[in-house]
Amino acid sequence: MGQGPRGEASLIWLIKFAMLTMMPRTDALPGISDTDLDGFLRRLRADADPLYWLGLVVGAIVFALSPLLTVGVPLPAFWLPHRALDRHAERLVSHPLYVLRQAVFLVRLSAGMCWGADTAVRARFALAPYGPDPGTFRE
Amino acid sequence: MSHTSFQPPGARVDLETDYVVVGSGAGGATAAVTLARGGERVAVVEAGPWRDPADYPQSVYGTMRDMLDVWGSNFTRGRAYWPIVQGSLVGGSTVINSAICVRTPADIFEQWRHDHGIGGPALADAFGRIQDDLERELGAEDVPPPSLGRHNLLAIAGAAALRYESHPTRRYVRGCAGDGQCLQGCRGDRKQSLNRTFIPEVVTRSGSLVSCAPVKRIVFEGARAVGVTGRFRHPRTRARGGVFSVRARKGVVVAASVTQSPVLLMRSGVRSRALGKGFRAHPGAPVFGSYDDPVDMNKGATQGWSSTAYRESPGFKLETLSLPLDMLSGRLAGAGPLLMDRLAEFRHLAMWVQACRAESVGEVGIGWNGRPVVRYTLSRDDMLRFREGLYRVAQTHVAAGARAVLPSIHGMPYRLAPDEIDRLKDAPLDPRAYVGILSHLFGGCTMGKDPARSVCDERGRVRDYDGLFVADASLIPTNLGVNPQHTIMALARYCAEEILARGA
Repeated sequence: MGQGPRGEASLIWLIKFAMLTMMPRTDALPGISDTDLDGFLRRLRADADPLYWLGLVVGAIVFALSPLLTVGVPLPAFWLPHRALDRHAERLVSHPLYVLRQAVFLVRLSAGMCWGADTAVRARFALAPYGPDPGTFRE
Repeated sequence: MSHTSFQPPGARVDLETDYVVVGSGAGGATAAVTLARGGERVAVVEAGPWRDPADYPQSVYGTMRDMLDVWGSNFTRGRAYWPIVQGSLVGGSTVINSAICVRTPADIFEQWRHDHGIGGPALADAFGRIQDDLERELGAEDVPPPSLGRHNLLAIAGAAALRYESHPTRRYVRGCAGDGQCLQGCRGDRKQSLNRTFIPEVVTRSGSLVSCAPVKRIVFEGARAVGVTGRFRHPRTRARGGVFSVRARKGVVVAASVTQSPVLLMRSGVRSRALGKGFRAHPGAPVFGSYDDPVDMNKGATQGWSSTAYRESPGFKLETLSLPLDMLSGRLAGAGPLLMDRLAEFRHLAMWVQACRAESVGEVGIGWNGRPVVRYTLSRDDMLRFREGLYRVAQTHVAAGARAVLPSIHGMPYRLAPDEIDRLKDAPLDPRAYVGILSHLFGGCTMGKDPARSVCDERGRVRDYDGLFVADASLIPTNLGVNPQHTIMALARYCAEEILARGA
């Protein structure tokens, strides 16, 4: 996207923040924080189609900047208290404005790809661990 | 025999052959093997890489990275943004679909004759013969009972209780092991995807395969198509590589998909008022059922049950479709602790879908980045059909014993008790309320008799050009109402047989 290393790190921090909020640890299940989210985001940054990555970045920015539209608080999401943040996430993914809820779709989808592929998470659902995705092809 | 994969910048690959086929999916691979069996030298050029079962990914992440066109991020522009799922590798979408084998319904030939001046009984007879052959060659089988899994058995029970026709799905799969990984590619190598069948046969019959090779344009001499050219693209890094050029002595067959074939013709300067027009699809959406006992929908065939009872009226098809855990968060509503509570129910969920026989028509064009852009919005009539299909899925869940249904519709409750599902009859008719998906695509280079409304004749020949053919789903001028792979393959073989019989 053309930004420097600090800009890139900030964007990844925003994506990570949105994902951690979307899929927190609960009494019943491990959260995305219990998985290798940093490794996942590194791989995603390297592998993803540029349009996909752009969509993810836009989603994370929308997530961070939209609390006024969801919980009526003129603060970025990362300054919200814990309960207000949960409420923001819930209201955003079911917001009446289609573009808003669609904007964060890729954040939720990508978070789920990380979480649902984790061996410990899969074990909770009696699912076998995934082997590697070899990424190989006939040369 | 030869296979040429990615070549670095500076390298150049030049081939000469009788026919070059662009695309290696259901249409391209079938056209190529038919021409090769007829004694022609064929080169298949495929934008994606050639992956074998040992190369297949296991996770959804790996599938999006390794199997899907642009990470599955192609979507419709219109009232709603619905994803368009297409494979991008040797074998095309046959690697990542459920290989469902449904014969072309008889009424389709009559519709083609009546509305488009093509087909009729002779084409129906030809398709019957070809589809017999294809089923024999690829080994079409009903899903065997031990491989059904509980999510398919529940659907069978639900449909039986409601007394509508349904059946275990017939697929191009030999001895299904019920691994539930059809959508990630069958690592057990039971699915007869065309990277495992027709493409290797083309190569062993003195043909060539050029992979990792997106075609930039068709080369013409006057009005005659004489080859294709482009630059290699690395499947992992997307880095551009060397130049390839395939010269075809007899003809060029385009089978790059409903989104890519019209765009390739446009980029190559082909002129037709109908080019890109007539895009159609089967938009689909799921309804989950929640059951008391674990369903474990990833055990058993991914799509082991289907019903065409409502294909003609109101116009939808019903199917099971098991969803991997790592895809589920994109389908269930909610976020935060609420989403986690809902995910905790995963083992008890069964996901079944309706695929709507939509009559809405869209258009394929070229975007700012050179990629295909699909403009498509469902009409109110189609949304009524779509909603009714979802209601029927919900009814089937209840009949199968679900304790609740989860309709995944914006503006509706997340969970409906069995005695509340009639609320679905009043569900919104706005496509934006649904997380829909387009998986079966048609049109863009449609065949027909009227040059103003069609790009090709019924043999797939592009009008006003010599040696240029289309042989994929972009030819199909109507919606089918059934899974299209069998029809696409039959149509491609029919076109290739006509090429062999009449010459290019």
